[in-house]
Amino acid sequence: MKTLTVFSKGGRRAEARGDIPLLACVCLMVCFGCLMVYSASCYVGKVQYGDAFFFVKKQILGAVAGGAVMVFFCFFPYRRLYKFRYAAVIISVVLLLLVFVPGVGVTNYGATRWIGFGPLTIQPSEVAKYSFALFAAAYFAKNYKKVATVRGVLPVLGVGVLFCVLVILEPNMSITMCIGILMLAIVFLSGTNLKTFAFLLIPCVLVVPVLIIAEPYRLKRLSAFLDPWSSPQGEGYQLIQSLYALGNGGLFGTGLFNSTQKYRFLPFAESDFILSVMGEELGFIGLLFFFAACAFIVWRGLRIARRCGDRFGYLLAAGFTLVYGIQVVVNALVVSGTIPPTGLPLPLVSSGNTSLIITMASMGVLFNISRSEGVEKPVVTGFVNNKNLRPV
Amino acid sequence: MDTCRLSKRGETVIKNSIKTDKKGFSLTVLQKRLLSVSLAIAFIFCVIAGRFFYLQVVSGSRLVLRAEDQWNREIPVIAARGAITDRNGKVLAGNRNTYSVFVRPAAVEDKLFTATALAAALRLDAKELHAKISVSGVSEVTVAKHAEGENVQKLAGLQLDGVYFARDNTRVYTYGEALCQVLGFTSTDGTGISGLEKYYNTLLAGENGEVLYGTDIIGVEREDAAVVYSPAQDGSSVSLTIDAEIQLAVEEAARSVYASSQAKAVSCIVLDPQNFDILALVNYPSYDLNDVPRDDAEQLNSLSRNRMVVDIYEPGSTFKVVTAAANLQEYVNGNPSAYSPERVFNSSRTRTVDGTRIKCWSDHKNGKHANQTLAQALNNSCNPCFTDIALSLGKEKFYEYLSAFGFGSATGIDFSGEAVGMLLPQSVVRNCDLARIGFGQTVAVTGLQLACAVAAAVNGGNYYLPHLVKAITSPEGGTEKIMPVLKTKVIGERASQMLAEMLEGVVTEGSGKKAYIEGYRVGGKTGTAQKYEDGKIAAGKYVSSFVGFFPADKPRYLALVTVDEPQGAYYGSVVAAPVAKEIFEDIIAIKNIQPYI
Repeated sequence: MKTLTVFSKGGRRAEARGDIPLLACVCLMVCFGCLMVYSASCYVGKVQYGDAFFFVKKQILGAVAGGAVMVFFCFFPYRRLYKFRYAAVIISVVLLLLVFVPGVGVTNYGATRWIGFGPLTIQPSEVAKYSFALFAAAYFAKNYKKVATVRGVLPVLGVGVLFCVLVILEPNMSITMCIGILMLAIVFLSGTNLKTFAFLLIPCVLVVPVLIIAEPYRLKRLSAFLDPWSSPQGEGYQLIQSLYALGNGGLFGTGLFNSTQKYRFLPFAESDFILSVMGEELGFIGLLFFFAACAFIVWRGLRIARRCGDRFGYLLAAGFTLVYGIQVVVNALVVSGTIPPTGLPLPLVSSGNTSLIITMASMGVLFNISRSEGVEKPVVTGFVNNKNLRPV
Repeated sequence: MDTCRLSKRGETVIKNSIKTDKKGFSLTVLQKRLLSVSLAIAFIFCVIAGRFFYLQVVSGSRLVLRAEDQWNREIPVIAARGAITDRNGKVLAGNRNTYSVFVRPAAVEDKLFTATALAAALRLDAKELHAKISVSGVSEVTVAKHAEGENVQKLAGLQLDGVYFARDNTRVYTYGEALCQVLGFTSTDGTGISGLEKYYNTLLAGENGEVLYGTDIIGVEREDAAVVYSPAQDGSSVSLTIDAEIQLAVEEAARSVYASSQAKAVSCIVLDPQNFDILALVNYPSYDLNDVPRDDAEQLNSLSRNRMVVDIYEPGSTFKVVTAAANLQEYVNGNPSAYSPERVFNSSRTRTVDGTRIKCWSDHKNGKHANQTLAQALNNSCNPCFTDIALSLGKEKFYEYLSAFGFGSATGIDFSGEAVGMLLPQSVVRNCDLARIGFGQTVAVTGLQLACAVAAAVNGGNYYLPHLVKAITSPEGGTEKIMPVLKTKVIGERASQMLAEMLEGVVTEGSGKKAYIEGYRVGGKTGTAQKYEDGKIAAGKYVSSFVGFFPADKPRYLALVTVDEPQGAYYGSVVAAPVAKEIFEDIIAIKNIQPYI
């Protein structure tokens, strides 16, 4: 048995059409995001910046830029990303370190999570998530034979832990969590045996309480989460305001633009807590539709991964999809007070251009992977561009 | 070897094969892993949906209830406090429309301009005001209370952002000092804190309403939010039994005797013996209700005491009316212990009871107080005669009357803080005490108690519930009239008539001569009581009093005048009786009462 070839129906064509529904859903969601950002921020924008459109203008700018980047990646063969695996890691590490350089790092709300170049601020941890997914996909695709052993997954682990450490120092617990969960998920998806996986999982689970205890503010937030009403003006404030918004929404919501909580009661209404405003204006029914759309994106992403002919595409698609999915899940859990509050945007919807552009870019990559399905005939091959790896 | 096949839908399905690649993993494993991850994500999405359902649908209303507090700011709508009028509808206490001015600093953009405008209109210090509304972290500042309507109207015209007005009513008392202790006053926020303002506060106050404005977190009004208005329920107005004209006349009489006798205090009460409507009630010195001396609590406390109702004194000879009433009723009843109107009292100046000697105030020399009948004893106000009556009737009988006449218990007037007086319990009273109670010593009463007792004694024997409020009118216009309540029948018609005639004699030929008015049947009794301080008689300190009524055959007006510590002349006949005369003359003029022919 030499080469395994898989054909799809469309495989006879030069290229598959690609996953148009995914792209359509992403575009709709970005437009919807602009609308919600406007609704959530018009009052704050007017009061703080004298312009009701302050945030939505930035968001539209980000959406346009993100759209361009997405289109670019739709046509950029994803296999070429393989070459950037080290570059991506190095760039991410540099950016993450730049956060700590005085004058470059931007501190907001007690955490240094941004780097600023003039008017532009970017959040390196957003980049790091995707860099990690890219690196892990590339590494496992190349070294798929080693994945069963602990040593085989060590490089991925190393990069993952490095990112986690750099991000947690900012500090940014939520993205650290995302990277950690992503790391575990990719190792799991890489096909490692369960013993190795358990070997990874246990320390990761153990490290969470340590991190919580290490930073007093996390402990406070945890206790606020357990009983927000005990400190309604302190640590529990944000959570209570989020719950008020959701409660006010009820089943059918107060109607678009009719949020009460956006009148500066709910902090970060246009970014991390935009889901609360959505819940208030659109109600539980509205949120169900929204979650269905999110689930649709995740489903299409995993479907692309499953249908992809090669390991790199499979892992990259799954990884990028998971980055998206994990963020949605963590954000929803925070907003609903199910896990302690952390600062994490709702991808594609929350205000914040770094997240928007990079998420759209990742969706472009997914689309590109979907276009190539069936074109790539050898599935088992680790990587097509690397001739040495091609099984004989 | 092709281990894959095409599915119906054209999807690539990788069969569990790939055994060839033995060093790697089969794709089956990858598929299973992907499936597990998909299932895990699906599960988590379900959990999230469930959580949101719980929050939004199950506990939504509970959360909204908690949140409503922070979404709205309220401006109070103060209910108009009910007016207090006299029996003829003359307003004694009314309201002037004034306003509280609030500033929500967060909503004020140009603080200096706003401060200047407010200061100019309200005559405040602009600098101070600017500092006040520039403090951060304060959601609301009260800039002024009771600001005049015209000033506020000017301000309202400026349409300043963040400035709010709420009507707060300023109480206005038409006659200033008149009836001040009875009416009482309100706190600056309009709650009654003394007098009738306090007693009838719930009725007068009504229910405040509010205007709810949706605001943002720091109190800036939202443009789109609905304004919820819950109207105030205005207070009921209350009409008193007081007759403002008589009240003013009595005030004047009290003021003049206060000045001429240099007394410590003067109190007068005028009531209608037919139903115990209180027509006038004066305690002098008084204070201006429109300018309450709130800064001096001690002075205010002393000036605002409705002494006629809340303070007690030893009545002295005016109390003999009660003793005489008891005797006459017992005489009518055929009680042999009672003195008949013709029976002559022992002319001795002294009586010895339980080893103590009781003396008359008169020396009984040169035929004074000799061979007196009851009518003459009343004329002369001879103490031993009333000692005889009290002892003759005996403790049980006499106490029956004392209690029927309301001594030792409150009259039940609609006024807070009424005193009950001091009457020795029947079980401990000795004969020497009983002997003194007969002429008004060893007993302490309120002026109101005495006035009511005398009124009942001369009106045919009917003791009514004295009251100050005649009717209550709700803001909708419904009026509830307070009808006279007959408490007890103290003596019979005949005894009462005999007593009234005897008391008329006191005024025509006895100690009450100075209350005599030609052409009118005035009856009355004088009283001069020594004051006690620390359990001993205080030398030179007296309470001079006179209780009078007219017309004697069917009394319509009864006045009790007490002058506390007059300087110089101190006999009730000299100090208090002329005041009663002045009051009755005024009433005759006011009511245009014709003399009998």
